[in-house]
Amino acid sequence: MSLGRVVATERRPNTPHEFHFWTALDSPVGIGTIVRVDGNEPVEGHIPHIYGVVVEGFSYTDLQTPLHDVLGHDGDPSSPGLSLTERAEIRLYTAAVLRQIPEEPLQPVPMGQVFLATDDDVAVALRMDGYLRPGNNTGIPIGIYRAGGTDSPIYLDADFLVGPEAAHLNIAGVSGLATKTSAVEWILASLFTHFPAQKGSIAAVLFNVKGPDLCFLDQPGAITDRDREIYEKLGVDPAPFDRVRYFAPYTAKGHGLNTLRSNEELVHNLQPLTWGLREVLQFAEVLLNRDDVDAKADALIDFIKERVIDREFSDPVLSRPHRVQSFGELEQWFRDVLNGMESRGSGDTWKTHHVATIRKVRNRLSNISTRCAGLVTDDGIVSDLPFGSFEDRTVYVVDVASSEEDAQDLIFARIVSKLREHLERRDLGVKHLVVFVDELNKYAASDGQDTYVRRMLLDIAERGRYLGLVLFSAQQFRSQVHRRVVGNSGTSLFGRMDADELATPGYAVLSPSTRTKLATLEKGQLMVRHPHFTQPIFVRFPRPAIMNGRDGAERFPQAGELTLAEAVLRSLRRLDPTLTLAWVEDVVSLYDEDEVLRARSATMLAKPGDVRAHFRSQFRSRIPHQKPVARPAPLSLRPVPTDDPYGF
Amino acid sequence: MIAYDRGAPLVLGTVAAIVRERRSRRLTTWSHERETALYLPRKLVTPALWEDQGDLRLIDTGSEDAGGPLASAHPVALAERAYSVVRQRRDALETELAERWCGVDPGPLFVDGSISGSPRVGTATCVAGVVKSHRVLYVEGEAMNVVLGLRRGERSTMLRITPKWATVATWYLRIREAAGHDPLWGLVRVEVAEARGTSEHADEISRWILAEARPLSLPDARWDTMVYGIRDCEETLRAV
Repeated sequence: MSLGRVVATERRPNTPHEFHFWTALDSPVGIGTIVRVDGNEPVEGHIPHIYGVVVEGFSYTDLQTPLHDVLGHDGDPSSPGLSLTERAEIRLYTAAVLRQIPEEPLQPVPMGQVFLATDDDVAVALRMDGYLRPGNNTGIPIGIYRAGGTDSPIYLDADFLVGPEAAHLNIAGVSGLATKTSAVEWILASLFTHFPAQKGSIAAVLFNVKGPDLCFLDQPGAITDRDREIYEKLGVDPAPFDRVRYFAPYTAKGHGLNTLRSNEELVHNLQPLTWGLREVLQFAEVLLNRDDVDAKADALIDFIKERVIDREFSDPVLSRPHRVQSFGELEQWFRDVLNGMESRGSGDTWKTHHVATIRKVRNRLSNISTRCAGLVTDDGIVSDLPFGSFEDRTVYVVDVASSEEDAQDLIFARIVSKLREHLERRDLGVKHLVVFVDELNKYAASDGQDTYVRRMLLDIAERGRYLGLVLFSAQQFRSQVHRRVVGNSGTSLFGRMDADELATPGYAVLSPSTRTKLATLEKGQLMVRHPHFTQPIFVRFPRPAIMNGRDGAERFPQAGELTLAEAVLRSLRRLDPTLTLAWVEDVVSLYDEDEVLRARSATMLAKPGDVRAHFRSQFRSRIPHQKPVARPAPLSLRPVPTDDPYGF
Repeated sequence: MIAYDRGAPLVLGTVAAIVRERRSRRLTTWSHERETALYLPRKLVTPALWEDQGDLRLIDTGSEDAGGPLASAHPVALAERAYSVVRQRRDALETELAERWCGVDPGPLFVDGSISGSPRVGTATCVAGVVKSHRVLYVEGEAMNVVLGLRRGERSTMLRITPKWATVATWYLRIREAAGHDPLWGLVRVEVAEARGTSEHADEISRWILAEARPLSLPDARWDTMVYGIRDCEETLRAV
């Protein structure tokens, strides 16, 4: 049954991209509703069908001026209820054309009847029929389109979400309305479920940059029956991710991991993220201030990277040969160089490097392990993501929420670079990888200085899809993100938006009503832009079946500050559950903290069969301090004669 | 006026009538009639014009029904006659619809204008006619002073008149305050079947008409006496 009629006037004509129609006052049409127009006259033998989405609505009566209404009710606003008759009133809508069939000749929308789009109409209108074909289905459910009792599934095209045709996804929306994080969790669940088998394997690396939102992806959360219906309709299991691995650096003190997911019940899939000198020096540029480190300093850093690190290095100025593998050893090398220059009187330069440059580089590099304490280890022990053995449909969460900004930048830069390297070599373990970064307006700001991280994000956005490296990003203010990053996002999602943000030029293409709807979207609603959709579409997605951050933080409170022995026990128990605190205390009591932490890291990396023996073997043998046993004084062999002056 | 033939004006007239029914405070069309015809004096135009009428209905403005023989062949007089016949056709169409309502629906019918043109409508107890123009005032002397002095919400006593075919009970009612306007401003004359000519019924009908006075019929120039429903009918007829 038709719900409206197309109308056009000379002042407001229909065009090939826009048309107008009116409806009954009680029709279910609203902003975002998809409608179908059946033309009255055949064109080249075909009745034209036009699909459109409502972008603007008008309502008015035959009242010429508001003053007439005031006069008609004697200035009393409460009296209209006494009127026997309501004024003639119209609901007039403007719809943007989604698709015309036949597509040629492209003509202005003809007069005709307007119908609410059915499931099939929605698929045709959004060109989903092109990628939902049996046998070549690349549809990824994003949510349902709901209007007038219709719940139509909306699918994104995997070829345009993950590549190779287009890629990347960007989400914008105000904070605190369960939009950005929830949407990403839901889309990942949908992607993992529906990613076409012929496209290969897929995994995700999520950077948790704030709060506990991504800390409980493997824990079930409460969903409503309505959500469950959506899950069922979209063919996604309402369950948390079954394969999740967490990585977090240590706290500055080094006892426990610096994450909100530190509750003992959840540490089974939590691993430390620590890097040594070799790993960090590759990305020293991320941490070093470009204004501070000039070309001369760069030259010295390059020299160290190429000639000193990980190789036997000897020089007449040095007191001994050095093999530098950790920040600690690098510091010893610097000290030896500077001492040698002073004591051997070799002047102000060494190998063309001025002593001031050497001192500056020493200061900056040594500083890194302090600035990134917990992540960067002095002793060179590395615990990293499983590059090369990534697993299909697995989520790897890197929790940097509690890390310092420098450490966050370093983590992000190195991990993404490594992912890229492995994907280029096709040896990451999976064929496609989604990288999720929140707070994109911080990491890829449209203004501000050009940072290493921003250059990396631009690189992913522009070239990642050829490698299978896909950027899912989110931010509150899309207008503050570098336009090449958002511009390269094939798919964009918008949750509830701030009015100021909507006033920026980027949203000028949206009608005022669409912008108003964006400013008032409920939780769980998104506006979707996708290459196949010629107009933005509003969809509803279910609440993720995952424990949200707030609930998780209450149910699994963060572990308190651990003693050294407790921290070691917690780590080693994952390898050997029989260990006891008393045993650990007994072993570590003789050694200083650095030695104990080094032994723990080495044991965790080695994963030995006999944890006790391996852990003990990491310590130098030391004879325990014992109180000397009191022994009787030895008796004299013979008494000394008192009268013998020569006696001894 | 679309053409002249031998000096006689040919008037293309479209008349329409409509009954709008109120449901849930909104007006919807109960029935609608429309008729387009060419109005011309048969005796004065070329015979072939009358005979070759095609699909268009022809109405002789010099027929007995239309007011009898034409007194003058002056084009202006002929045009006036044609316009008069068009109005007659409109009244006839309105009466047809009103009679149909009375035969089908027992609900009250608000008629724009006099109901005395039809014996059936003029005697129907469900009908009230509201006359907005007052070329003839059915009172004189002191009674006229009373009528012209009515204030908003006041009505005159009832009269019985037989202006056309039926005798009807009628009274004057002021639906808008006339202060600052001419004495006929906001004054309507109500007609009901003679059988319903009781004071109680007049009060009930008057209350109804007063209630129908809002919302205003602006921007129509006759808004002082036109209730919104009648304006709605006119706008609907213009649209269709």
